[in-house]
Amino acid sequence: MMRFFKQICAPIFILIATTANADNIKLAVTTSFNNSGLSDVLLPKIKSDIGLNIKLLVVGTGQALRLGAAGDVDAILVHSKKAEEQFVTDGYGLHRREIMYNDFVIIGPKHDPAIVRNSKSVREALTLISQTPASFVSRGDDSGTHKMEVGLWKYSGLDPDKFGKWYKSVGSGMGASLNVSASMGAYILSDRASWLNFKNKSDLEILFEGDKLLFNQYSFIPINPSLHTHVKYQLVEKLENWLTSTTAKSMINGYEIDGQALFTFNAEPE
Amino acid sequence: MFPLIAENLVVEFNGKHILGPLDLTVNKGDISLILGPNGSGKTTLLKSLHGIMKLKRGSIKWSCSDNSSMKKQMFVFQTPIMLRRSVFENLTYPLLLRKVSNSKAHRLATEWVEKIGLKEIMHISATRLSGGEKQKLALARALITEPEMLFLDEPSASLDGKTTVEIENLLKSCTKNGTTIMMSTHDIGQAKRLAKNILFLNKGILESNQLTETFFLEPTSPNAQKFITGEIVE
Repeated sequence: MMRFFKQICAPIFILIATTANADNIKLAVTTSFNNSGLSDVLLPKIKSDIGLNIKLLVVGTGQALRLGAAGDVDAILVHSKKAEEQFVTDGYGLHRREIMYNDFVIIGPKHDPAIVRNSKSVREALTLISQTPASFVSRGDDSGTHKMEVGLWKYSGLDPDKFGKWYKSVGSGMGASLNVSASMGAYILSDRASWLNFKNKSDLEILFEGDKLLFNQYSFIPINPSLHTHVKYQLVEKLENWLTSTTAKSMINGYEIDGQALFTFNAEPE
Repeated sequence: MFPLIAENLVVEFNGKHILGPLDLTVNKGDISLILGPNGSGKTTLLKSLHGIMKLKRGSIKWSCSDNSSMKKQMFVFQTPIMLRRSVFENLTYPLLLRKVSNSKAHRLATEWVEKIGLKEIMHISATRLSGGEKQKLALARALITEPEMLFLDEPSASLDGKTTVEIENLLKSCTKNGTTIMMSTHDIGQAKRLAKNILFLNKGILESNQLTETFFLEPTSPNAQKFITGEIVE
C-alpha cells in the first residue's frame, strides 16, 4: 500500500537529507531520472566525492524549465532538446551539456489488442493504436516524455488534441502514469529506465522498441547567475565537472536493473 | 573590489581556441569598450571576466573574494532576458534577492520605471515589450542594484537611434555613481561617444588597449587601423 501510495503521489518534491555544514544546491530533475533509481546511486557518491548535498526537485521537464527560468533552482537535468536550446537562447540557462541517454519504449498489455508488437516503426505502432479501441495513457504534464509523445503522434500524422476518450491524459509523473496504464491495461510511452524500475508491471510488457526516433537525451543546464544572482554557480560547476567525469561515466554505464543497462554516458570532454 | 586583474587568460570551447593568452587590468570607474570583427572573442572576454565561462588557463582576480565579486557585478546580454513577470516585478526582483526591504524596492522600481519611460505599462508582462523596451528594462534591472561593475554585450546592436541614445544616457548617468563599465560594440561612433579606453580584439588576441583619443588617432594595431577605416579585417 505504501509503495502504491508513493508511486501515485509522484511527481513530488523529494528532499534529500542535508547537513548544516555541507554545500547544498537545488537541482530540478525529470521524474524519469528519479524513477529509474539512478539518482539514489549517484547522489551519495557525489556527496562523498565533492561534498555536495543535492536537493532534488522531481518534476517534468516543462516544470523544471519553469523553475529554472524563475531562479528557484541552481541547475536542471532534463530531456527535451528543443525546449532546452530555447531555454539557453532565452538566457535563462548558461549552456546545455549532454550527459547521458536512454530510450523510450511503448508499453502495453501482453495480449496487444492493437497488434503493435510486429510494427516496423514507431509511426506504424502509434497508427495501429489510434485505429483500435485500445486505450492509451499520456503523461499530459508537459514533461520531456510528454513532449516526446506528442511529437511522435504528430510525426505519425495524428493530432492528440482530436483524439477521443481512448486517449487518457493523466497529468502525472512516469510512475503514476504507469500505474494508471497497468490498472487500465492501456498502452503508454515510457522511458526504459523508469519502466525497468517500475514495480507494478501487472499485465504490461514492452511491445515496441528500437526505432531511432525513440532516443532520449538527458542534458545538464546551469541557471544563469547573471540573471539570478543568488544561484550557486560555483557549486553547480563542481557538479557539472563531476557529472562529466570518468567516475560518473563508470557509474552511469554500470547502473543496471535485471541485468540491463539503463543509461549510456555520452558527455563530451571540454 | 578593484582592480580586476586577468592574467594569461585562455579560453577554449570544444577543443577550439577562442581567446587569449591575454592580460588585462580594469580600474575602478573605467569605461572600456571592446571593438573587433565578428568572432574576435568580444563576448567570450566579457563572459570570462564575469565568471560564467570556464577558463582553460589563467586567472581572474578581484580585490575581494570571488563570492562577493559576483554579487557586485551585473551583465546585460545582447538579447535581453526577461523574467516572466510584470515590468515592475522585473525591477523589484534583483533588489528583493539582495534583501532590500519591500518598501525601498517598490520606491526604487517606481523611480526607474519612470526613468526608462515604461510607467504607463509597468503592470504588463515584460515578455510583451518591444525589443528596445526590453533592453531598457534589462539595463534598468541591472542598474537598480547599483553594481560596481557592469558588463554589456552589444546592448544596442539591433535598436533604433532614439533607444540607443536613451541607453547611452543611462550608462553615462551610472558612471557618475562610480559604476565601472565594460561593453562590446560594433558601433565606432558609440565607442567615440562613450569610451574612456578601447580594447581591440582580433581572433581572440588583444591587439591593443588604448585611450579612446589615441586609439582613433594612432592605433597601435594595423588591424585596428583597418577596422576604424571600414576595411575588412582578416
